[in-house]
Amino acid sequence: MPEPILRLTGVDIGFAGEEALVHEINLEAYAGEVIGLNGVSGIGKTTLLRTLAGLVPPLIGELEVLGQSDLSQLPRGSIGYIPQRLGLVHHQTVGYNALMGALPGASWWQTLLSLPSGEMRQAARDAVEAVGLSEKMLDPVSLLSGGEQRRVAVARSLVQRPRLLLADECLGELDETTSETVAVQLLSLAREHDTCIVLVDHSPARTAALCDRVLNFRRGRLVEDEPGLIRLPMLGGDN
Amino acid sequence: MAERGRLASTWLMLRKRPRLLTLIGLGLLAILVALHLQITGPSLAQGFDNLLVILAEAWPPDFSVLTNRASWANPPCNFESDVLCSPAVIGLVQTLEIAFLATLFGMVLSLPLATMAAHNLSPAWLSSAMRSLLAAFRVLPSLIWALLFVIIVGIGPLAGVLAMTLYTIGYLGKLQYEALEGVGRQPLEAARAMGLSRAQVARYFAIPEASNSLLSQLLFMFEYNVRHGSVVGLVGAGGIGWYMQYYLAPFRLYDRVLALLIVLYVTVVIIDAVSLRLRRRFIESDEQMRRPNWRGVFLPWKSD
Repeated sequence: MPEPILRLTGVDIGFAGEEALVHEINLEAYAGEVIGLNGVSGIGKTTLLRTLAGLVPPLIGELEVLGQSDLSQLPRGSIGYIPQRLGLVHHQTVGYNALMGALPGASWWQTLLSLPSGEMRQAARDAVEAVGLSEKMLDPVSLLSGGEQRRVAVARSLVQRPRLLLADECLGELDETTSETVAVQLLSLAREHDTCIVLVDHSPARTAALCDRVLNFRRGRLVEDEPGLIRLPMLGGDN
Repeated sequence: MAERGRLASTWLMLRKRPRLLTLIGLGLLAILVALHLQITGPSLAQGFDNLLVILAEAWPPDFSVLTNRASWANPPCNFESDVLCSPAVIGLVQTLEIAFLATLFGMVLSLPLATMAAHNLSPAWLSSAMRSLLAAFRVLPSLIWALLFVIIVGIGPLAGVLAMTLYTIGYLGKLQYEALEGVGRQPLEAARAMGLSRAQVARYFAIPEASNSLLSQLLFMFEYNVRHGSVVGLVGAGGIGWYMQYYLAPFRLYDRVLALLIVLYVTVVIIDAVSLRLRRRFIESDEQMRRPNWRGVFLPWKSD
């Protein structure tokens, strides 16, 4: 049995001094697995992702990523995070934002002098091309549509190739075609690079279609659904 | 008895009008403070008389300050043209040069301090320490810094550059850390989740995201330094103020001082207008935010 990328044992999440939002989460997730999280607004989905990203400590229980419980000790770039509002640098270009995915691998002098290597630049160009934004490489992100901005966030993750990717509603508010395009790019990370993806989404139908496993927030607990019944053909599903 | 009744009714009337009562209270306080400072009617009248005398001597302004050579310039002027070596041109150019260097050095030094002072980019102990340091630079106005540097490095523009640089660090640093703290949480969290260092988060996420505000503040600071560059000259720290002081102190040539003031005023108005126009390019509605760049600042007609 391979080591899980993500392991939560008896974890309560929430904010210090307040009552826990979700109790006793027990979860293991493996390389290449796509896990969907469903639930209504305000139930703790984003807080769970922020906890997994190491931005909020768990209230109790043990959280391990790549076998490491102190997430600050993980190799740089192990975790990728696409927040709800994407976390892009809005005044900078599409290319710049994609290149940010290469920053965890940059040496101190590349960081200091702002001199990414040729490989890093090529990876950013390839990622931007993969999400279909080559023509907008030099456009500021603030001038792009919502769907295009989501593709930029995915391009950044494609360059980063994290072991664990946390995506917070990055398929929401998109038309069907764009949502499908973004999903395909996102899931290519899991299929081609063995990234474990935790995907928060409002739509149970979409998570059922995209994810290997779906978990629902119910009465302060995280409950796993039956395996998804519907698969989008382009994702390689056969159900 | 009747008088006491009138006083009581006046007091009752005033209590029903709290705004009027506040105004009367403030007026009485102002009179007491003025008396404590020995500001009296006769002293004000004397000052007004002096003002009329100075205005009579200053008018019309003597624009020979734009044409006559300043042989006593510091540092000496080596151009052949008298206009280029006139007190107004030398003083104005020096003021602009002092403001430019002080703004440039100030920005280069204040930005790292501001990133360390921003609560969202640094641990609490570091941001508190950096805020205290920046506040220390702001405690003294640029004029007092100039006095200190004139004593340390002597009379001349170097004292002005050093004084204005220190003040710029304190003032611009505060504006910068406030702008950095205004950056949205999500880009910084995405960067932190990647495992980036604090320096990388600041350099590649926070500063670019706040760049519109930072550039706008830089232009404002240059404008501010041009205005204050003339003040530091009064204590010998170079710039047009030094030439004003030269005419004021020994000779009382008010007409020449007025001409220098007019030259400075026109320059400041032009700089204000250009700066305002450029700053508007950066601080617009979210939908129209543009990517800031240096070409856009110095060559605005090329950046569209």
